[in-house]
Amino acid sequence: MKIIYVLIPLSLMLLSLAVWAFFWAVRNDQFDDLDTPALDILDDDEEPGGEIENRE
Amino acid sequence: MNDHRGNPCFHCGEPVPPGTDLAVEIGGERRPMCCAGCRAVATLIHSSGLDRYYDFRDALPERPDAIEAEPGRFAAWDREAVLDFHARPASDAGDDNRGRSRQSIVLVLENVHCAACAWLIHRYLRQFAGVSETRLDVGDGRLHLKFAPDQTPLSALAAALERIGYPPHLDTPDSGIDRDRNERRRMLRYLIVAALGMMQVMSYALAKYIAGGSPEAAGGMDPETEDFFRLISMLVAVPVALYAGQPFYRSAANHLRQRHLGLDVPVAAAILLALFSSVLITLFGQGEVYFDSVVMFVFFLLLGRFAVMLARQQSGAVHSALARALPSQARRLTTTGSEAVGLVELQVGDRVIVADGDVVPADGVVIEGDGSVDESLLSGESEPRPRAAGDAVLAGSLVTGGSLQLRIEKLGSGTVLSGIVELLGEARRRRPRLARLADTVAAWFIALILISTGLAAIYWWQTDPGSVIPVVLAMLVVACPCALALGTPTALASATRGLALEGVLTANPDALEALPGITHVVLDKTGTLTEPGARLVEVRPGTGLGRDEILQLAGALERVSNHPIARALAPFDCGRPVAQAENVAGAGVMGVIDGRKYWLGRADWVSGRAGGRWSEPGEGIWLALLAEGADEPAWLRVEARLRIGTQALIERLKDSGIRVVLASGDREVNVAPVAAALDIQAFHAAMRPEDKLALVERLQGQGARVAMVGDGINDAPVLAGADISIALAEGAAIARTQADLVATGRDLNPLIAVFDQAPRVRRIIRQNLVWALTYNLGALPLAAAGLVPPWAAAIGMSASSIAVVLNARRLGRTRDRRPAGTRAAPRTALETA
Repeated sequence: MKIIYVLIPLSLMLLSLAVWAFFWAVRNDQFDDLDTPALDILDDDEEPGGEIENRE
Repeated sequence: MNDHRGNPCFHCGEPVPPGTDLAVEIGGERRPMCCAGCRAVATLIHSSGLDRYYDFRDALPERPDAIEAEPGRFAAWDREAVLDFHARPASDAGDDNRGRSRQSIVLVLENVHCAACAWLIHRYLRQFAGVSETRLDVGDGRLHLKFAPDQTPLSALAAALERIGYPPHLDTPDSGIDRDRNERRRMLRYLIVAALGMMQVMSYALAKYIAGGSPEAAGGMDPETEDFFRLISMLVAVPVALYAGQPFYRSAANHLRQRHLGLDVPVAAAILLALFSSVLITLFGQGEVYFDSVVMFVFFLLLGRFAVMLARQQSGAVHSALARALPSQARRLTTTGSEAVGLVELQVGDRVIVADGDVVPADGVVIEGDGSVDESLLSGESEPRPRAAGDAVLAGSLVTGGSLQLRIEKLGSGTVLSGIVELLGEARRRRPRLARLADTVAAWFIALILISTGLAAIYWWQTDPGSVIPVVLAMLVVACPCALALGTPTALASATRGLALEGVLTANPDALEALPGITHVVLDKTGTLTEPGARLVEVRPGTGLGRDEILQLAGALERVSNHPIARALAPFDCGRPVAQAENVAGAGVMGVIDGRKYWLGRADWVSGRAGGRWSEPGEGIWLALLAEGADEPAWLRVEARLRIGTQALIERLKDSGIRVVLASGDREVNVAPVAAALDIQAFHAAMRPEDKLALVERLQGQGARVAMVGDGINDAPVLAGADISIALAEGAAIARTQADLVATGRDLNPLIAVFDQAPRVRRIIRQNLVWALTYNLGALPLAAAGLVPPWAAAIGMSASSIAVVLNARRLGRTRDRRPAGTRAAPRTALETA
């Protein structure tokens, strides 16, 4: 059972990683538009690279 | 007319008027269209390869106006001064040189209803070079756009948006949006921390539950491991609960400072008490720890708060009201000619030209020219009034017939329009808050909980001191009025969805709860009971033409005019080319179709032009249509019509014992007949916005609960001051932003649906509250008796919340989802002779 003394602190590190990742997402507008991305997936005839070209 | 009901316009869902043959091929099939405006938008959507918009959408758009190819409409938006004021350089472009010219701007769009709109706009705008980001907030219609002006100018993007049916307006930079966004992000962070923390702490607690509380010999956990799990749980739970629980601590502190018991007082007390007692036990003593219950509690409460916050934020958007009522640009006179300028560039003393069909940009005085000015949205006056040199005109009014040259007297916040907007803000602040009543009830409930918890604590202290903490915790958690707090908002959210299917958009869900208690309904006349503009009611064939031919010709000829009568004929325009089209203000239109010359207009004007002598064949407003060389004209009769459903709505209201009052800004001669026709005894004419507000406040002072139905800018203050406000989607944008409910379509039937639905809403809310109270009050004695461990209390709390949410979802389903086309009855009732 000594292994839990390694595993549980490890899980804490993963937890803080997850919190950091979510905070990063919030900070970078990932949660600002929750309506339209759901429709993007339905669009299969997207021209490849269109978005990237526009972004340059 | 029933045979047309099954044949709605594929784009906007309104019935296709008889004699209209417009169709667009979408998704491989020919789809019927009701008017040239819909056809233009649908064709554009199809040719851009965006047909799937029609599969994705779950709300119908408003009927778009047929838009003339008017290339310069947004020209001023490319000017330096306009971009300097409204846009800012985009920061995301990095260091490359091309990115420097990139601009970021916020536009307010009309007619945004659902995610499919956002999808359509996103796809469509991305076809333009230099557009790098399009983010549309479906809630308030704000489009965040990043574009490169040197590749595609803003004016081109604005015109493109208008073409697909979303007219854009410039938005003044405002901190309100940022504040909302920051609040949303902060709540999201709390929620994420609570969710992750909950999962983690639960997993630690699970080990203990599986092993059981028994000693090591019986297969339990050895004390050393148990201590370790406790310590780890504490390390996670304490920061999580302290961080994610902040909204509750802050709110509780505020409530206590105001000597008031809010819902958050026992919530904060339970969280902090459980947390500290668990910390003390972990560090020094023996007994139960409640880290898992605490974090779970925080998470579920935050979830409810988050949902309520989202609903509230979507109802805001007062700040853009002014922008929507004003034109996109003004035409300023210079020494050499005229130039299109942005409104921010205008100064007092500037001379501007306002053409036929344009909106006046600022308050001013007519210097030259003559024409009529339609102030119906500002004052409720139903007919355009002629204006000549020396007369004053107001910002936000519409020039119809003729064009005017103005000298600007007052700008921006000095205008009458802006004054009305301010009046509105005040009225809004005075609005009786329903929430206050709920708070008072909750305060009593909370006082009860705190007192009984205190008594139970004293009792257990004397009998079994070890049980004090678990009992107190169980009581606070079990009594947490979570279901009580969720019951109303979730029911209102579901009802909002259900009403949207009936054609009513809910901006302020509180209104649904208050609707069954309404005693008086105050109705505006112009534009609310009557339709804006005129309606074609009769056609008398003549001039050697058939009825359908007459309608098509009239529709095509009137294309050059912006007069309300022209709008009545626009649905019949099937796009026949008109040569030498000309609009003679206040008289009529003429043009050449298929090589033949036609006149359409006032009888005396047509007579004069064609060298004949004809007069109107009867009472009312008649238009003559004459073909060159014909002996006699054909006649078309138009009139201002009551909206369909008006009679039914008023009967429905009277049946439920609601008093109906008519309050109009129009003159008495126009108001009295309408009141008589509808059998409304109480009517008031010539009312200014402040008079209407005073009327409503007087009624409220006598104990009445007033619902206001209106459409114009002049109705905006009274809409804000009424207990419940309902606006029509066709009316002024500013009235829409102030309303609790917005009825779409052009008839009043959706309003009947509102009054039918409201009692159901109230019933579900009652059920929810009764259930929540029964649960809370029933479980409280059990918890006080020490029969409920804190973890069971937390589960019970969640279960009762889920029951309430499921019950509320029933409101989202309507009894019968009628096809959209039957919502609006046919637009014209033609009585052919």
